[in-house]
Amino acid sequence: MVREKETTLYLGPQHPGITGNMMIKLKVTGDTVVRAETHVGYLHRAFEKLIERRNWLQTFTILCRFCVPEPDPMELTYARAVEELENREVPERAEYIRTIVMELARLQSFMLWYAGQSGSAGLYLTGQWSVGDRNYILDLFEELTGGRIYHMYIWPGGVRRDLPKGWKDKALKTMDYIEKRLDEYNKIMFDNTIFQKRAQGVGIVPKDKAIEWGVVGAPLRGTGIKHDVRIDEPYCAYDKLDFIVPTQEGGDVWARALVRQEEARQSINIIRQALEKMPEGEFYNKVPNPMKWTVPAGEAWTKTESVRGEVGFYVVSDGSNKPRRVHVKGAAYTNGITVLEKILPGQNIADVSFILNSMGVCPPEMER
Amino acid sequence: MEDLGIKIIGALLTVILAFTVGMTYGGIVRKLTARVQNRRGPVIWQNFLDLLKLQSKKTNIAHGFMGHMAPVWIIISAGTVLMFIPILNGNLWFPNLTFHGDLIFLLYMMVFGSLGMALGAGQTGNPNSAIGVTRGLSQMVGFEIPFVLALVALMVQYKTTSIQDIMDIQAQTGTWMMFANPFAFLAALFASLGMFRYSPFDIVGAPAELASGPVSEFGGKYLGTMMSGGSIFAFIKLTLYVDLFMGGAGFGTGILATIMGLGILLLKTFSLYMVPVFYGWISPRYRTEQAIRYFWGWPTALGVIAVIWAIF
Repeated sequence: MVREKETTLYLGPQHPGITGNMMIKLKVTGDTVVRAETHVGYLHRAFEKLIERRNWLQTFTILCRFCVPEPDPMELTYARAVEELENREVPERAEYIRTIVMELARLQSFMLWYAGQSGSAGLYLTGQWSVGDRNYILDLFEELTGGRIYHMYIWPGGVRRDLPKGWKDKALKTMDYIEKRLDEYNKIMFDNTIFQKRAQGVGIVPKDKAIEWGVVGAPLRGTGIKHDVRIDEPYCAYDKLDFIVPTQEGGDVWARALVRQEEARQSINIIRQALEKMPEGEFYNKVPNPMKWTVPAGEAWTKTESVRGEVGFYVVSDGSNKPRRVHVKGAAYTNGITVLEKILPGQNIADVSFILNSMGVCPPEMER
Repeated sequence: MEDLGIKIIGALLTVILAFTVGMTYGGIVRKLTARVQNRRGPVIWQNFLDLLKLQSKKTNIAHGFMGHMAPVWIIISAGTVLMFIPILNGNLWFPNLTFHGDLIFLLYMMVFGSLGMALGAGQTGNPNSAIGVTRGLSQMVGFEIPFVLALVALMVQYKTTSIQDIMDIQAQTGTWMMFANPFAFLAALFASLGMFRYSPFDIVGAPAELASGPVSEFGGKYLGTMMSGGSIFAFIKLTLYVDLFMGGAGFGTGILATIMGLGILLLKTFSLYMVPVFYGWISPRYRTEQAIRYFWGWPTALGVIAVIWAIF
């Protein structure tokens, strides 16, 4: 029996196929991956430790940097944990605004996903379009929060400011435009037989292993398991809105892509509903002077649904004006470290970065 | 002696023409691609600026003898092949070393550039380069079959292995080969998609997969020289297709005839060049085995039909 020679291929930490600063050490024979080892540590900024040296509000300058493509779920999850610790009420209008912000964040992140998923397969047209159109959503963010990427807008007790005048109409028009554009992206990407051939039967997450492996988000729903924090443990105004959580069977890249395709549409649907149903009233239950603000001793665990899946924050307070401990469970933590090692063996080298994008790997979220 | 002088000047003009056209086409495609993608894009002459930048860089890293030789091999083979391609039919200013059997000779010579790249990339020791080379050679095995079948059909149909003769016959009969044997043209056209390495056949240097593949370790003057060689090769392939299937170009030796001939050549080559570019805009990349399966499918079947058509 002829034993094929194994070659070591380093995908990252600096490589066009990697989604951030991490590395996958691949052992390959021919074009087939035999083993995959994920290596992180290139992006560690000790965020969790830095948070312990900041007061409860200063923490927000760090939170948004946990995951650049979608920073808002971090703000919301932390804010909810703090609200739970001190039983702080959130005005209903703020809950609706938070829902809109979360879904806008999801939508712009989906548009980055379109770019990553199609670009890693060599289809650059969709990606250039979607990243260009994403700017219209960032315009909305800029007008609402003052920042395009990092917002620091969701605070404990509500949101930092109310919707600007005329923002609602602008948001609705943008949604109409994005909805039309999604049709065009989908025609180029999903109706393309080469894309279908590349995505079907590749990077399969087995349904019977998905929960055991800790898979979350679209990769989990792509196996047919309907799990979404927005439905299972509703927060913000999600329980007052009508939307579906799409699932697909197969667990491959194609199934995950179909799930995300529909989720992008659902985000538009949710934003429209939230804008229509939003009540008038207060938007912020103001916290005391941040320098003197103390939170009662205790611990809280909150989670929200990001594009990559479930984001969890474990926050401990010792009653002082700073968090005693903040532990973050990023959605990409399991999907991007352990699960990848399980699903990459047997795949073609050409599909590694393709699978990586479909799993929603976000290295800064793994290294806190 | 006067003829020799004209031939030498003509050869130099041919190299300048091929280089300029290849680089400019590349620049136009970069601009058009950007516009389609909703981007502003670089200027049309950006490739020349890139080349100037690359040639002005110093390279301190050596990758052995073949690492040095690879770009030289590519540019020399590009220049050599160019000399055997008839640029303008019946024009004294663009002479070529055409001879009976040059079509077969060119089939061999055209892979020399890729072989040079393979040897140089192999010596760099970068696994991305080695895998890229393997992919390139595998893809070549894929598209060479329909391409060779198309050329065999051509040789059988016109009973010659001379490019010049094929051009002359097309001029005399007034029928382009693409109409005389459309199956051969289609087989060769499909093969050209692989030759130009635009998506979905950009598997050799797939950035997200192999970090640019064979050229991963090359930069500065090395990359600049490879870029120049690649541009000349692009012109060669296009002109060869025009010569063989689209009746070539050329009206005589006079100044006006030369300008008109060049205009027709540019029109035909650019139209041909846009086929893989258009296809590439909307296509994701194949995996290696999918690319080979593609070439061994319909393009090869068309090639076989073309040969049968030529025989009967």
